[in-house]
Amino acid sequence: MIGKVRELAKEWLTTKKVDAIFGLRKQNNDVAPYLFTDVKELKDLVLSIDNRICFTVRPSKQNIVHLIQKNSPDMKIGIIARGCDERALIELAKRFQIDLEKIEILGVACTNKDAEECLCPIPYPKTIIIGEKAEGVSLDKIKNVESLLGKTLEEKAAFWKEQLSKCIKCYGCRNVCPMCICKECKLEEDLWVKSGELPPDFPMYHFIRFYHMADRCIECGQCEKACPAGIPLLTISKLVRKDVKELFDYEAGKDVEQESPLVTTLDETPLKEEAKDVAV
Amino acid sequence: MKGGKIDQVSNNGFEPKIVGFLCNWCSYAGADLAGTARLKYPANLRVIRVMCSGRVSPEFVVKALRAGADGVMVLGCHIGDCHYQAGNHRAAKRIAILRRLLNYMGIDPRRVRLEWVSASEAQRFTKIVKEFTDDMKALGPNPMKKVKV
Ligand code: SF4
Ligand code: SF4
Ligand code: SF4
Ligand code: FES
Repeated sequence: MIGKVRELAKEWLTTKKVDAIFGLRKQNNDVAPYLFTDVKELKDLVLSIDNRICFTVRPSKQNIVHLIQKNSPDMKIGIIARGCDERALIELAKRFQIDLEKIEILGVACTNKDAEECLCPIPYPKTIIIGEKAEGVSLDKIKNVESLLGKTLEEKAAFWKEQLSKCIKCYGCRNVCPMCICKECKLEEDLWVKSGELPPDFPMYHFIRFYHMADRCIECGQCEKACPAGIPLLTISKLVRKDVKELFDYEAGKDVEQESPLVTTLDETPLKEEAKDVAV
Repeated sequence: MKGGKIDQVSNNGFEPKIVGFLCNWCSYAGADLAGTARLKYPANLRVIRVMCSGRVSPEFVVKALRAGADGVMVLGCHIGDCHYQAGNHRAAKRIAILRRLLNYMGIDPRRVRLEWVSASEAQRFTKIVKEFTDDMKALGPNPMKKVKV
């Protein structure tokens, strides 16, 4: 598969379809996003589900594609994007971070194995150029989700208190998240999250992340992979994403034209009456 | 957006602490009217005046629950009457998501209630506060409040 990707990247560059290809480059044993402009470099182009091309650069808290476009506004970039990368790009464009007009997506489908490893619901971009569509992992197939839903309120609280007490407040879950791009982050405000307090007071730190992701999480799975404490963060993010779909028929990363229900009125995006009540 | 029906039990004379975020333009005025009309409502309610129900971010609610509230009410203008056009539309959506998220984290979503109360609805205001106070009495003390050590 990587052979085909390199070939196509080369073609796009030589035919001047794009000015640069943005993808992952492997050097020695390190994989990192790289802007390829010279076809000779393409031999180091790789695919990896453990690295995202769509990441937020710290400490400026800006997406890397945003920074490239800021630097070179006229550059036409071909981006090697999987399902999650594309969803992130769509969501970022919606939030005025990047300009999709100057981006050509070289869509790559992930394998079944990749999808399972990431617990990915849609392991392919809208237009697949390379690879075969694999089946996504649906919510009912995820063990953590099933086991959480089977718990009583008391059991859920006990479970999360225990899990979240392992948090070392490394900010890894936020830092890897392609959607955590706020200049001022509530997790850094003493009012909400006391600095120097470990583990962070239940439940505010994680509540903030989960709630802020309600209309943005594109289910890339990076937060959970990044967590050194092994906290099953995706369990809640996925459930909240399902709820937002149920309540407002909205899915982050699906359509650049569809605005988040949290910025529209009830006339534009009604709250589904039948989904209003919460099962306890 | 009511929770399930809660059995009316006295719960050993437990008096819940209730925090109410009241919109300045309607619910707060409604509460004021209830006061001047000498309508009785439970003293369990601690009122925080906000300019609009849209000002209440979900963090406020969680912080109140953690800091010692047994229940939190958000009261705003009826849909169509918000002084900032759509603040209450946002409140409705946020609280809907918030309640589901609380449930996943093991926090009883019935401890959070959103209602619309206009400046002239003193009766409705007292009724809602009474109902919610009774609900919180039945639910008992909020287990997630921080115990002072
Ligand atoms: S899965 Fe995690 S890292 Fe990815 S968008 Fe959602 S919250 Fe952010
Ligand atoms: S945690 Fe919330 S405030 Fe912080 S960057 Fe993410 S979305 Fe923004
Ligand atoms: S990545 Fe894990 S340990 Fe680090 S801040 Fe997030 S939840 Fe806590
Ligand atoms: S002004 Fe009352 S809800 Fe907005």
